[in-house]
Amino acid sequence: MDQGKAVSVQDSLKTDTKKWIQLKINNHEKKLEVDPTTRLVDLLRNEFKLTGTKISCGIGRCGACSVMINGSLVNACLVMAYQINNASITTIEGVAEDSSLHPIQQAFLEEGGFQCGYCTPGMIMAVKSLVNETLNPTDEQIQLALSGNLCRCTGYGGIIRAVKRVIAERVII
Amino acid sequence: MQKNQEFYKNRRRIRPDGKAKVTGSLSYLTDLSFSNMLYGKILRSSYPHAIIKSINTDHAEKLYGVKAIITHKDIPGLNRFGIVTPDQPVLCEEHVRYVGDAIAAVAAVSVEIAEKALELIKVEYEVLPILDSPEKSLEKDAPKLHPEGNILHKAGFKTGDMEAGFAKAAAIVEETYQVPRQMHAYMETEGGVIVPEKDGAITVYVGTQHGYKDRFQLSRILDIPEEKIRIVSSPMGGSFGGKDELNIQPYGAVLALVSGCPVKIHQTRKESLIAGLKRHPMKITMKTGVDSEGRILANQVNIIADTGAYATLGPAILDFSVEHAAGPYMIPNMVTEGISVFTNNGVSGEFRGFGGNQVTFALEGQIDRLAEKIGMDPNELRRRNIRKVDDPGPLGHRIAPTNGAYEVLEAINKKLTIKTNQLKDSPPNDKWKVRGIGTAITMHGGGLGYGRLDPAGGRISLSEKGKIEIAFGFEEAGQGILGVIETIVTEELGCAPEDLSIVIGDTALVPSSGSTTASRGTSMVWHALQRMKGAFEQQILNKASAITSVSVSQMQLGRGGVFSITKANSYALLLTYDEIAKQINENETIVVSTNFDFPTTPDPVDGGHFLYTFGAVLAQVEIDLLTGKVKVIDLDQSIAAGPVVSTMGYIGQIEGGGVMSLGYTLMEDALMEGGKYITENLDSYLIPSILDVPFSMDTEAIEQLVEGDPYGPRGVGEIGTVAVAPAIAKAIHHAIGYWPTRLPISSEEILFASSQRRQRQWIKVRQ
Ligand code: FES
Ligand code: FES
Repeated sequence: MDQGKAVSVQDSLKTDTKKWIQLKINNHEKKLEVDPTTRLVDLLRNEFKLTGTKISCGIGRCGACSVMINGSLVNACLVMAYQINNASITTIEGVAEDSSLHPIQQAFLEEGGFQCGYCTPGMIMAVKSLVNETLNPTDEQIQLALSGNLCRCTGYGGIIRAVKRVIAERVII
Repeated sequence: MQKNQEFYKNRRRIRPDGKAKVTGSLSYLTDLSFSNMLYGKILRSSYPHAIIKSINTDHAEKLYGVKAIITHKDIPGLNRFGIVTPDQPVLCEEHVRYVGDAIAAVAAVSVEIAEKALELIKVEYEVLPILDSPEKSLEKDAPKLHPEGNILHKAGFKTGDMEAGFAKAAAIVEETYQVPRQMHAYMETEGGVIVPEKDGAITVYVGTQHGYKDRFQLSRILDIPEEKIRIVSSPMGGSFGGKDELNIQPYGAVLALVSGCPVKIHQTRKESLIAGLKRHPMKITMKTGVDSEGRILANQVNIIADTGAYATLGPAILDFSVEHAAGPYMIPNMVTEGISVFTNNGVSGEFRGFGGNQVTFALEGQIDRLAEKIGMDPNELRRRNIRKVDDPGPLGHRIAPTNGAYEVLEAINKKLTIKTNQLKDSPPNDKWKVRGIGTAITMHGGGLGYGRLDPAGGRISLSEKGKIEIAFGFEEAGQGILGVIETIVTEELGCAPEDLSIVIGDTALVPSSGSTTASRGTSMVWHALQRMKGAFEQQILNKASAITSVSVSQMQLGRGGVFSITKANSYALLLTYDEIAKQINENETIVVSTNFDFPTTPDPVDGGHFLYTFGAVLAQVEIDLLTGKVKVIDLDQSIAAGPVVSTMGYIGQIEGGGVMSLGYTLMEDALMEGGKYITENLDSYLIPSILDVPFSMDTEAIEQLVEGDPYGPRGVGEIGTVAVAPAIAKAIHHAIGYWPTRLPISSEEILFASSQRRQRQWIKVRQ
């Protein structure tokens, strides 16, 4: 019934299938016993109450659930608990450094890179991944990097202006 | 014409909700959780049209972890909802009319168990013939979807002598336009938590566009007094009209009351797609005649709207289409007939643009075709028919004087000249790519219209904590109402953002302000402030005067508190707001509230609007002749909606609205076959991604109003969506000589049209 749902009822009712996993979330060590097929997005939102990571399509199409695993951008709705044992995960909550906003966040604020904000955490993770990997991205590289993140509110204009500003200010990230 | 005041000094503020949004710390209502919280799931019909023979929940009830199962028998009050006409069953007793009709709902300790329980509920149906088009529903022997039949609403407008008009016409164009079932596709699907409180009260943490209306509807369904229902309705991850009607609230509320536990429901995208509202698909036939000078002599319009299974705001949307069928043109002879028909196709309802988008696609298409037929520049034809400052509105009714139509037309025409020259100078250097440019204009009414309850209001007070508390019953769906409130209040009062506490979206704390729809929020905040600020300033200054013995005339409000203005150029802080608040004794308050109605036309024309905004769009497309793919490379708009309150908010609405309609024009259709959705998620229902939009868009705000206009800034939530489709259609015609009549325009038809054209050109060359 729920597309892309990895947890079946039988599994969730059985407790003996649970496994211990160990991982780092935003640089904090975590250890928990979990059904190995629980989706990472549910783990983050329900177990860790990190609700900055959103859910919208559940099938890897919208990017609202974007997080980084070991520095690579992934859709958390497509990753299961057993795949992240020993991994290091960064979510939107881990982007701002010691209470000051990350330059990408500041640029989104000042350029109107969001409206409802529901796509924003995922979008910022995607921008972060882009600027981490590409020193001076071209327009095409910006488009490609954000093509997996849908925004229904802004028409992408404010998002593009924010990304361009981040690049123009040559922030060392 | 004058530049209207120095509206507003700081229009590039950072939104008050911004920081929480970019850091992910903002809790949306679907992010909330409570202790003992259960998860709700709703069982929807397996068929688009059927009679329920039996519902058996025995099995499901025995499932471990299930805490409550409800069917129609468990609805305490009226088992119906609908903003105007409550005709939609909360839980169906017998008759199911679309695949989103709810039959039962479950609350369980986990989502998985709730889903399993739904599978265990056995429903026996007797399948009925499916009415999957308005035409089928209108057949004589079609089964009746509702006791009164299959027609939800008829609307019409008539002026002059249409036949005489056509008789004098030098050219006539007749065309039928078809527009799709667009989905709002807000990124946050419907959901939230409903919490039972003491004494049978509940708190409903679920997004909506009119908290008080939800409270009213839920009171009727739950049979508990409105005072016992608190609606917390902000923030939302988008709505665009789609969350205006009730969605999951009644199920969550009944489950919470039955189980005694908080119940969370957050629809999956597929559930949202099946149950949620869509934009009305319409078939619009227009026959339009002009004389050789390009004056429109007659326009005959026929609109058939597929309203789906239930009413919601279907009648008002049809009225809106009928009203806007003449657009910003003065057409002497006109007959418009509209009919909104029940079918088994989902539920059509409120959606940004509200019937204007559909009819504008048809009207502007007619203008472009007529211009071609008589060999006139289309914008010249528009100019010859455009409304003037004091002309009546499209239903012949009086409206607030405005020259917006002419201004946006001239503004977009300028852009067209520039872009056309650029294109001539540097055509694409790929022989398989062709480009074209098109423009279109529109006029769009704000507020609910004549004869509709459209109250607004607000409250401003000095709180105990020394904050200027400004409260409105509006919701923040992303549009930026918080930023609008901050700008207007701080600039009107002269206080600082830090002095403010903005309260919205919670019926326990805010006055009723009417709905957050129909581009009315910005306008109503401004109007409310105009009404309240004098009295509020007076109250604060009186108090300050009582404390300091400085006379009221020598003080004014400022950043942080009350300032003395005794000597010229001396400006000193006398008292902070906090100090004033501390001096307020128990039986004293500083509070001003207001109630008023959205301004309407003085003429008794049902649904007729009074404040209109105007928009003009320029679209440039590049068509790939090998694939038929249409890429929009420019989407620029000129908007006349009065002064800009927030620059980022304004541009964001226009760009975002434009792109939403780019999707409407080229990609989006919630396809149905036999009353069932074929598209079920964002993999088959495609909305524009960053790859589908122009890399930069230009928004021009024409801020001036006519001299003495007392109505202030108008809302721009919808205007940017309205004239996009016809501009893109015209651009396609400019590129390949093909007139699209059906949205979304497919690559297949473009490929077919352009290859036929090339064949014709080839034949010409050989002859
Ligand atoms: S929710 Fe994961 S990609 Fe859409
Ligand atoms: S800001 Fe609403 S979806 Fe992007």
